[in-house]
Amino acid sequence: MAKMDKKWVLLCSTAIAGVYAAGFFSTETQATQVESQPHAPIAIQTKVEKSSVVSLKSNEPKRIYKEGTFTGTGENRRGYIQVAVTIKKDKITDVEISDFGMHYSEDDVIGLPDEVVKQQSAQVSNVSGATYSTQAFEDAVQEALSQAHNA
Amino acid sequence: MKKTKLFMDTVVEIQIVLRETTSKEEAEAKIDRAFEAFRKVEQSCSRFSSDSELMNVCRVMDNPVKISPFLFEPLKFALEIAKLTDGEFDPTIGKVMEEQGYNRHYLTGEIMESPSADSVTYRDIVLDEQNRTLFLKKPLVVDLGAVAKGFAIDLAANELKDFEGFVVNAGGDLFAGGVDGNGHPWKIGIQHPERKNQIIDVIEISNESICTSGSYERRNAKLPGMHHIVNPKTGQSPNDWVSCSIIAPFAMMADAFSTTVFLLGRERGKELIENMELKGLFIRSDLQIDRMGGI
Repeated sequence: MAKMDKKWVLLCSTAIAGVYAAGFFSTETQATQVESQPHAPIAIQTKVEKSSVVSLKSNEPKRIYKEGTFTGTGENRRGYIQVAVTIKKDKITDVEISDFGMHYSEDDVIGLPDEVVKQQSAQVSNVSGATYSTQAFEDAVQEALSQAHNA
Repeated sequence: MKKTKLFMDTVVEIQIVLRETTSKEEAEAKIDRAFEAFRKVEQSCSRFSSDSELMNVCRVMDNPVKISPFLFEPLKFALEIAKLTDGEFDPTIGKVMEEQGYNRHYLTGEIMESPSADSVTYRDIVLDEQNRTLFLKKPLVVDLGAVAKGFAIDLAANELKDFEGFVVNAGGDLFAGGVDGNGHPWKIGIQHPERKNQIIDVIEISNESICTSGSYERRNAKLPGMHHIVNPKTGQSPNDWVSCSIIAPFAMMADAFSTTVFLLGRERGKELIENMELKGLFIRSDLQIDRMGGI
């Protein structure tokens, strides 16, 4: 059979080229685009019911949140975590995680003969798996947001 | 050097192998540009925020709308997969996902309730390659969950390609470029489907992507047996596999085909892998592992 996957490889490489050809990803304009394409408006939510979600209009003169970067902390099954949430014009533009690391020790590798484990597991710092959600970071993000809240 | 941020409701970690001659500032600037790819693709493709490009253009019904390449390219790829599978993979699954509870923005808490016709398929989406426009024949919700993240990984990887080694890891879907700190191919663990924080196998890759679709994360909170991969024809979650990992030259390809093979189930999934000459590692519900493509 002919190599069918050629078509898909080509589609992927033209997709990347398409972005660059359109000039959407150039160094000069990068800084301004960061500001102009933030996350969705922040809605305050209480995790209880839909009706409590309040969408904000970004053109409102009085802002709900202060601008800048605010930190929040939390704990999840992987340990202590800290997040830095950046807010511009009542929108979350960036959420950076610090003090966070997944660690897979030798004991974590199962289903492999011992010798293989010894050889291979030492440098496994990346794991492929079903995409895990950011649920574990919610509390930390909420804490950062509450710090940013205008009185 | 390593940086971690949240995008697309997952944890995106970018690490690069620094040589002594590389300046830290330069490296950091490159990493920031790589993250910028995620920000742009998310802002273009998210169905979880009402002001994303996708949700904005989907409100226009009567005429074709010009769309950015950050949306056009992954959507085009998703439509090609839909054609290949005759709609068993279908990016118009968005409304079904919304109704099943996958409707909440992970940062803002915004809940989506989007208008949609009752019965929609990928044939209701018309992309015009020449004019780079999108036209919807019916109101519908596009879900690019199986391609957008992969595309962002590919764009990020492209920004980092000059480094001797780097990994862009978006919550378990990743691209590993070059070599690790010791000059070896990157060793990537495969998540154990049942035991958190354990891996079931290890593979080695260099300048390749590995993406995994699995039923063990993002299970449906309300409907037992259901998870975030849903067959548009049956409305059910397939359960032949618990985990499908595909290795491919591009993350968008690995991302889309891992979801597709998961959807198709064991027999037809294997057939597709053989026909496409893909490489992958597939785990059945009894944890038996099928390796294909010589890995």
